[in-house]
Amino acid sequence: MFYREVGQFKTSYKADQSIFPILQDRIGIAVILFVAFAIIPAFGSDFFLSSIMIPFLIFALATIGLNILTGYTGQLSLGTGAFMGVGAYACYKLTTFFPDVNIIIMVLLSGFFSAAVGMIFGLPSLRIKGFYLAVTTLAAQFFLEWCFIRISWLYNYNNSGAIEVPRREGFGDIVLAGAAATPATRYLVVLSIVVLMTWIASNIIRGRIGRSWMMIRDMDIAAELMGVRPLYAKLSAFAVSSFYCGVAGAMMVFFWLGAAEVESFDINHSFLYLFMAIIGGLGSLVGSFMGAAFIWILPIIIRALPETFGIDINAATVEHINFMLIGGMIIFFLIVEPHGLARLWQIAKEKLRTWPFPYT
Amino acid sequence: MNMAVAPTGTAASKPAAQEVLLDVKNVSLSFGGVQAIKDVSFNINKGEIRAIIGPNGAGKTSMLNVINGFYHPQVGEITFKGETRSAMRPYVAASQGIARTFQNVALFRGMSTLDNIMSGRTLKMHKNFFWQMLRFGPALDEEIEHRHKVEEIIDFLEIQHIRRTPVGRLPYGLQKRVELARALAMEPELLLLDEPMAGMNLEEKEDMSRFILDVNDQFGTTIALIEHDMGVVMDLSTRVVVLDHGEKIADGTPEEVSANQDVIDAYLGVAH
Repeated sequence: MFYREVGQFKTSYKADQSIFPILQDRIGIAVILFVAFAIIPAFGSDFFLSSIMIPFLIFALATIGLNILTGYTGQLSLGTGAFMGVGAYACYKLTTFFPDVNIIIMVLLSGFFSAAVGMIFGLPSLRIKGFYLAVTTLAAQFFLEWCFIRISWLYNYNNSGAIEVPRREGFGDIVLAGAAATPATRYLVVLSIVVLMTWIASNIIRGRIGRSWMMIRDMDIAAELMGVRPLYAKLSAFAVSSFYCGVAGAMMVFFWLGAAEVESFDINHSFLYLFMAIIGGLGSLVGSFMGAAFIWILPIIIRALPETFGIDINAATVEHINFMLIGGMIIFFLIVEPHGLARLWQIAKEKLRTWPFPYT
Repeated sequence: MNMAVAPTGTAASKPAAQEVLLDVKNVSLSFGGVQAIKDVSFNINKGEIRAIIGPNGAGKTSMLNVINGFYHPQVGEITFKGETRSAMRPYVAASQGIARTFQNVALFRGMSTLDNIMSGRTLKMHKNFFWQMLRFGPALDEEIEHRHKVEEIIDFLEIQHIRRTPVGRLPYGLQKRVELARALAMEPELLLLDEPMAGMNLEEKEDMSRFILDVNDQFGTTIALIEHDMGVVMDLSTRVVVLDHGEKIADGTPEEVSANQDVIDAYLGVAH
């Protein structure tokens, strides 16, 4: 009844092609951005900011990265964790060499390193498709993990084998990274980067490059006939995807964990991002956020429920129930809509357009 | 070629432009021991509708695949717009101005009709990654400029109502039409149509025939067409080449070909 584009006429292709052509969507996104930028940092507790929102945003960005490769270009990858690791270690080395440069610039620069590594490991995609390609990206995962352990130069010969985030200031003397950085600061930095990069991703996807990725995904033979060079399309997808993963990895260490070992970038995490992308919806940016929220925020909410309602259950039992519920919901959602939460959301929007008069 | 015997349809009213657009010379193609095409030569004149017919397995689709660079013939050469080549990549053929549709619809199923047709403009869009990222200024102007062209094609093929529909949801006949639209968006000089009317009912066939003639007439696009419906072939085409078991058995106007004894034998069989 309220979500309808009735009376909203587009008189130019420019207006027709905007990200949010429907007024209600524009209002919705403005409200979300206002809440995210103003309300949450002002009123959110430290726990809410640093244990829920920051990791959620970082995971969402990593999932967008994976989605660009798997959802939009159709190249299955199991190396997300490793590419994030490249970003994290690159950022660590960069800020070691240039301690005075703003850490945000370093985080963004580190993406280029993982983009380069991603392109190298993307080369097999020119010959190999589908599950077999997934296996070759496993090689990236294992090789890079090995590098993170064995090449001690990467973690400055630290005895613990971990990278520890040094104190970094920027924009005057605001502490951006390190133990002294406030959750609100870190949250705002992460949020800004994620919003900016999501906007850029949506631009790329709607343009010529994004279309050539989807052409390769949907029908590579026809794509080649329309003039898409598979080499360029696939490697650019690997590069952009790894760039996003790299930035997410760097943010994960510098703005969330504060210290990281190779375990933060292992194969389990690669799988986790793949699940986020699948549950959220392959080939959808909104889905990336939904998938990340489903996997990260939902368990925290379920865990907190018994306490909120004053039910006295053993913490271990809650954890078991949690696993069962999440597992059950994954199966439920994938049966209801194999294309993920994003498609459910889209269907809901289509229904809303005519609700409650389906024949108008 | 003999144009005195006028075939029906608008193609007949065209002046007989004898400029050769594509020349296939002595092409042979084999896969292992199977010889798909044996020493076939024919040419396509600028502005004509050239039909390639033949029974199943005659090598018609293989011929199209050779022309647009999917298969690389072992022997023979192909001259397109005066440039001779034997092997090339499909995207090079695309950039030279060869577009095609497929026997089994090969649309980008995850994309909307509009995006599918926009994808035909890929080669004509040049703005770099940086502008694409911002989708601002030149990149946006370029996108809108090509959108205008795409909308013209949408109007031309009368598919305005399915602009936003994901092509996977469209009925078969419309999918074929979207595929034609996508090929037209490339503004090709040579359009290869692989069974554009397969599986269509009479009305859809009539629509499609009308579009093919209109494309040929209004855009001056040269068309090479594979089709099994003889009525359609005889009505639409300027000249017909007949393949059987990879060999060329006849070449000429529809009337000549339909009177040819080898062709009749190939289609109806011969008593042994």
